[in-house]
Amino acid sequence: MDTDYGIRIPATDEEGFIENLLADKYSYKVEEPVYQEWEFYDTFDWRLYQELLTFQRAGSSLNLRNFSTGELVESIRWERTPRFAWQFPDSLLKEHIQSLIDVRALLLLSRVFVTFRIYRILNQEEKTVARLLLTSVISNGDITSQHTASYVSLRPVRGYPKYARLLARELGEIGETSSIIEEIYLTSLKSNRLVPGSYCSKLNMNLSPAMPSAEAIKLILRRLLRIMRANEAGIKADVDSEFLHDFRIAVRKTRSILSQLDDVFPPEVDNYFKKKFADLGKVSNNLRDLDVYLLSENKYHSLLPSYRRDDISPLFTYLKEQRKNALQEVINHLNSQNYAQLMKEWKLFLEKPISDNEYASKANVQIIDLAKQKIYKQYRRIIKDGNYILEHTEDELLHALRIECKKLRYLIEFFSSLFPEKKINRLLQQLKKLQDNLGEFNDLAIQQEHLLDLTASLPVNDNETKMVLVAIGYIIQNMENQQKSVKESFSKTFRKFSSDSNKNLFRDLFMMTSKKDTA
Amino acid sequence: MKTLALYSNKGGVGKTTTAVNLAYLAAQSGMTTLICDLDPQSSSTYYFRVKPKLKRKARGFVRKGKRIDQSIKGTDYERLDLLPADFSHRNLDIIFNSLRHRKHRLEIVLKPLAKEYELVILDCPPTINILAENIFNATDYLLVPLIPTTLSLRTHEILIHFFKENRYDSRKVRPFFSMVDGRKKMHQKMIPRMIDRFDNFLQTPIPYLSLIEQMGIFREPIPAFAPDSMATKSYKTLWKEIEDKLLSK
Repeated sequence: MDTDYGIRIPATDEEGFIENLLADKYSYKVEEPVYQEWEFYDTFDWRLYQELLTFQRAGSSLNLRNFSTGELVESIRWERTPRFAWQFPDSLLKEHIQSLIDVRALLLLSRVFVTFRIYRILNQEEKTVARLLLTSVISNGDITSQHTASYVSLRPVRGYPKYARLLARELGEIGETSSIIEEIYLTSLKSNRLVPGSYCSKLNMNLSPAMPSAEAIKLILRRLLRIMRANEAGIKADVDSEFLHDFRIAVRKTRSILSQLDDVFPPEVDNYFKKKFADLGKVSNNLRDLDVYLLSENKYHSLLPSYRRDDISPLFTYLKEQRKNALQEVINHLNSQNYAQLMKEWKLFLEKPISDNEYASKANVQIIDLAKQKIYKQYRRIIKDGNYILEHTEDELLHALRIECKKLRYLIEFFSSLFPEKKINRLLQQLKKLQDNLGEFNDLAIQQEHLLDLTASLPVNDNETKMVLVAIGYIIQNMENQQKSVKESFSKTFRKFSSDSNKNLFRDLFMMTSKKDTA
Repeated sequence: MKTLALYSNKGGVGKTTTAVNLAYLAAQSGMTTLICDLDPQSSSTYYFRVKPKLKRKARGFVRKGKRIDQSIKGTDYERLDLLPADFSHRNLDIIFNSLRHRKHRLEIVLKPLAKEYELVILDCPPTINILAENIFNATDYLLVPLIPTTLSLRTHEILIHFFKENRYDSRKVRPFFSMVDGRKKMHQKMIPRMIDRFDNFLQTPIPYLSLIEQMGIFREPIPAFAPDSMATKSYKTLWKEIEDKLLSK
């Protein structure tokens, strides 16, 4: 049953309400009620909600809907509810979902029970000339409870505009029309105590320029800590790969702050937590690597000649086995006393009020000044290193530059709220292009290395495994060629990044005023 | 958009009842469906309780889509609309004959409806003239109800002959048995003979049932007022066969 706009009416005795409305003026017939169960889904980070969309199972249809307009964007009939985009049957819905959720899982957020009743308005021939749709909902997930809301909507019948006009006027006197699906969806979230958009892997800080640095940085670190904690449950339940990914990025950013902004907190604090978070990062390295492999399984197949595509499959069976152990290791760590202790100590430190004597030289500097100084310094370093690489292209230097770029990226992300958004976005775009180039180069290098390592650990005792080895050899060859061409495009990408206009943008945004005057 | 015609050059063979019930089942299955009543006797229009009157008389069929569009009426059932018949349809032959592309007028008129409808079902009058040729050109398939009698056999032979003569694709013609009465010797004898004689038979027969005659009293498709009846079962089976064999490609 299709729903879009409707007018809210009292949820108690809604049938009586409609009957009163029609009683003296129209003859009508009520059709058998239709019952449907609806389920609403989104990813953990609300990717659909951010686009005003929701994924809905209604009876045996899977719908992608714009909840704010009620519009049905895509729909298919399918009995099962897929968890991942790749589990959908081939369809426009699949493509659309794929582009929205990527590798994230769809999570069931709420369930509502809907009753539809159609009132057919009849003319003297007893012919239907308009329909009223009464939609009654139980949005708290408890099928035994009373209706929580009811809506009436007008469905004109083609060729009978007079009736449609009359009824529209009468309904208009009851109240405003609104998107039924939006009200039902948002209410059902509320009754499950879910706040749409509550999790986002982006920092979205809102710093004020005059804040003392120690305070501002603690704010960022607290946000990062919340991201870590929010992802723990999803990692343990193995919902999708992105819980771990977000968790690891939050850990890495925490470390990045501790090492890059090192003159804010006392050195012993910096060193202690730097070590602890480095260890925490290492615990999940193996699992993340395996996730990356398994997510790009299709890519590996495509690197092989078509008649050899399946040769690599046993490798992925092997990796899946490995992943089980790696996941258990991570879960064990998250459940350990060690981890609980670290979280507790870290939280205590972040919540402790700042007193002057405990902190280092930059603790009381205005955050805007510290941000400018650090970002500009890091930018200049990258320009210097990059220019050197243009003359001496060695792989190690490219790897090192990638890390420096990542540091710059993090710095800009931490402090972006202190600068004009448009300029920051332009700059991030430029930086991202450079990072993509370096990242791809690095990925290819690492994957070749890992594949070689794997050949050492794969037990070779049958023909099948031998074929895997041949396939791996082929893939490595293929990757090496790709890597070469990525390397060749570095100089072009870097020249764009170090262009004068970009240089000016960096200078504009981050050079300290006093220096600008002398420059 | 797929277009099916319930067609026969013989009257009283169950064209309209089949058209109405199939159109209803199509809409129920989720297809947006339009049933066009081309018969001046306007029986399917009557079944759907619509007044048999086109806004611009048959002229709507003469110029392009827009006009015909304004005459379409919603029925009592979701996704099912009706283009009502008009007494002036009796002149369609003459009007079409006076125009350019005279054998393709119907096709031209129906074409713009593809935006709105997945399926169009034509309920045709019994003719074999210019209007009939318009129907042959405009439809993907001709569903031809055949009563298992010698007379029907003869009429169908005429149709097949006409198709060959005029180089129409005879694979479009899909006969099915209608008003079958198992008690009649004649019917028992004719069915195998006809299957032998003609190709492309649909396998589902529609039996002779008094309920089908009662449609005029209820003025509703049978599955709507007698969902558990034998008649409903037959039409559902026929619809399923059409869906699988003719519409799934």
